[in-house]
Amino acid sequence: MAMVEADDRDDEGSIPSTHSIRSRRSIRSFSMPDFGDHVDDQIFSQILEMDDDETTREFSEPLVTNFFEQAEETFVKMDQALTDKNLEELSSLGHFLKGSSSTLGFSKIKDSCQIIQQAGHMLNVDGSPEPDEKVCVKKITEALKAAKVDTTELKQKMERFFAGKPIGDN
Amino acid sequence: MPAPEGELAVAQAGNSSDFVRKLYKMLEDPTYNSVVRWSAEGDSFVVLENEKFTKTILPKHFKHSNFASFVRQLNKYDFHKVRHSEESSETPYGRDAWEFRHPEFRADRKDNLDNIRRKAPAPRKPQQADDAFPATQQIVVLSESLAATQHQIQALQEQYFDLFNNNKILVNEVVSLQKMVKAQSQVSNELITHLNNIEDRRRNSRHSAHSSHSSHSGPAYHPGNLNLLPDGADEPAPELRRAREILNNVSPDSEADRDLHRLSVAYHHSGSPPDSSTSSVTYTQPGSGSMPVVHHDPLNDMRHLVYPVGQTQGIDPFHSDHIHNIPYSRPLSNPAALTEAPIQATPPPKDQGGSLWGANKPRILLVEDDKTCARIGAKFLSHVDCTVEIARDGLEAVDKMNHDPERVDLVFMDIIMPNLDGVSATAMIRMVTPRVPVIAMTSNIRQEDVQTYFHFGMNDVLAKPFTKDGMVRILKKHLSYMLRDPSQANMGGDESGQSVGVLGPSMSSQAYGGPQGMSMAAMAGGPSMGGGGGGGQVKYEQTPIQSPATTSSWHSPSQMTHTSPSMNDGGGYLTAVGSGSAGGMVLTPGGTQRPQYSNQVLQPQIGGQNLSRLPDMMAGMGDERPEKRQRLYAPPQGAYVQQ
Repeated sequence: MAMVEADDRDDEGSIPSTHSIRSRRSIRSFSMPDFGDHVDDQIFSQILEMDDDETTREFSEPLVTNFFEQAEETFVKMDQALTDKNLEELSSLGHFLKGSSSTLGFSKIKDSCQIIQQAGHMLNVDGSPEPDEKVCVKKITEALKAAKVDTTELKQKMERFFAGKPIGDN
Repeated sequence: MPAPEGELAVAQAGNSSDFVRKLYKMLEDPTYNSVVRWSAEGDSFVVLENEKFTKTILPKHFKHSNFASFVRQLNKYDFHKVRHSEESSETPYGRDAWEFRHPEFRADRKDNLDNIRRKAPAPRKPQQADDAFPATQQIVVLSESLAATQHQIQALQEQYFDLFNNNKILVNEVVSLQKMVKAQSQVSNELITHLNNIEDRRRNSRHSAHSSHSSHSGPAYHPGNLNLLPDGADEPAPELRRAREILNNVSPDSEADRDLHRLSVAYHHSGSPPDSSTSSVTYTQPGSGSMPVVHHDPLNDMRHLVYPVGQTQGIDPFHSDHIHNIPYSRPLSNPAALTEAPIQATPPPKDQGGSLWGANKPRILLVEDDKTCARIGAKFLSHVDCTVEIARDGLEAVDKMNHDPERVDLVFMDIIMPNLDGVSATAMIRMVTPRVPVIAMTSNIRQEDVQTYFHFGMNDVLAKPFTKDGMVRILKKHLSYMLRDPSQANMGGDESGQSVGVLGPSMSSQAYGGPQGMSMAAMAGGPSMGGGGGGGQVKYEQTPIQSPATTSSWHSPSQMTHTSPSMNDGGGYLTAVGSGSAGGMVLTPGGTQRPQYSNQVLQPQIGGQNLSRLPDMMAGMGDERPEKRQRLYAPPQGAYVQQ
């Protein structure tokens, strides 16, 4: 790991235009908290960058808050669909939540959604068919459970983060 | 005369004829005296009142009311009309009376009736003379039935016409699908071959390149992990063999193909057949003969929607329920709208602190059903000085564009949305404006899907989850004419891989892969070169949980930093390497193949201007890599790994 230093991040220039580099530099002081493998830092940091004021975070905070509301609503619907064995609906819901979670960079949740979406279409994650409905239901059940756990965990971290507190207790 | 009548005559030979006896009987009735009666001499009979006779007496005795028939019958039995000489204009019975005579037919010779026989087959002439009488009646009947028949023919012709056009559309659709399928299988073959090569190389080199698996080797992009080479089994990947088998087993139905080919050729070369046939009949709707495609105003005609309205969260246009039911061929655009060249003279640079754009800021339509994505996308866009409008589904987008086709400079379009999916929406938008760039935003960027996007008029693909950089890159590429500094259009302002990508269109795949491989090697410090070709191209990051079977798909670029559990599984990682390089390869055939394809598709649409756009599209294909690569490349320099 010697070649990859954690603080190299500040020197890298993954943001392209001169314009954004400038704005980027202005938030150098801010260091991205470690959300662990819950969050794709690169994606999430781009969203944080959109905040005009990083103390109030008027853009990103409601976005994240809304996401968790959306996620919880979706989980309720998923539970219902799972009871009904409505795989099509599950797949559709999985796709729905996958879109926003991946755009926010919430990787773990996104992965679970991907599993649900695919299994709902009787597919494995790699796209190969999974003919056994029971297996699919089982996969969905597990993925949904994982998604809920991850969501709860991440939500706590995010709440602390937006409250300006240190997030990690892991 | 037909034989049966002759036989009848023979059979009756011994008896008096029915007709003659009926005639005699009728004349015996004194109540008819004023209408029909024996002549004074009793050697002939007279019909005094023709009309009354026809209407009242004939039906009673002969079961018909046709005087002409009665006269014909008399003729057959050799009765003759008695003509009175011109000079004695005063006949005993009046001008309109008809007097008939037969030598054997007399009032006092009832016993002699048997001697009155039918004549031998009558000479034609007198008959025809008699036929003349009902001729007008027959003409009326005939012309009536003719008119009815004509109506029928007209209706049939209309139906035939519809069917013909529908069939034409279907055949065209099938033919273009066939082309697509063919391209697909070529791509697949290329991929399999390439993967086989990689497999071989990998197996040859694995011993030299073998290195220990770091315990926290999640993101495998630092040099140490690049050395990692498969320590899996020796046999070639079963997936490859299976894929090859499947491909080989699909043999096209050559006979059906030939028929189809004949059909499509017929449609293209013969001037539309129904035209000639319709012209002979009164039915000729002007212009209908050359009606090419059916969609006149599909926006107002919901039947033409590609996909049904969905009930849940979204419609997946690639779900088999839908993809097989596309009711129309790709829309042709309105050539008139092409007068606006997509690439215009660049406005003179203005000094506008920091902004990318010239005098006019781009107006963007963001079509996205997911609120979170829409807000983030809109934020990114407005952050680079674009005006953003959001549509919540395809229907709303079509509505906006239909209302004012010039209202935006570029459209970002989600694919799976409720009410109307992005592909259908684009097809419709293409009918009102062929010019505006439409960019698919989706995590579903399998090669075949991307091809479908292009087929329905989309110009580029932005992988989800999208990034600000990705969006900016698209904007620069497709709105280069709006840039303040047009030289940025190609430079893109993106770091690392981008400059290589820009050369894409003109570069062969080898040249393309070359610099990448080298830069990778430089970072990796070389030892991994055994797997070099493949290893160097691992830039499409792979969802760790993805299995190697997804060789033909690219995956959303988001997963690099997080460490999913399976990432630590040696086999899993290794297969990811394999498929990652396959991802690199996908573009190579795609890069050459898709533009060709688009070329065919766009030809009718864009005409001459097509040529100027084509390289652009190819650049787009090339660009797709750097965009992802950039995301992957940054980390090795920076602290991508957050352990």
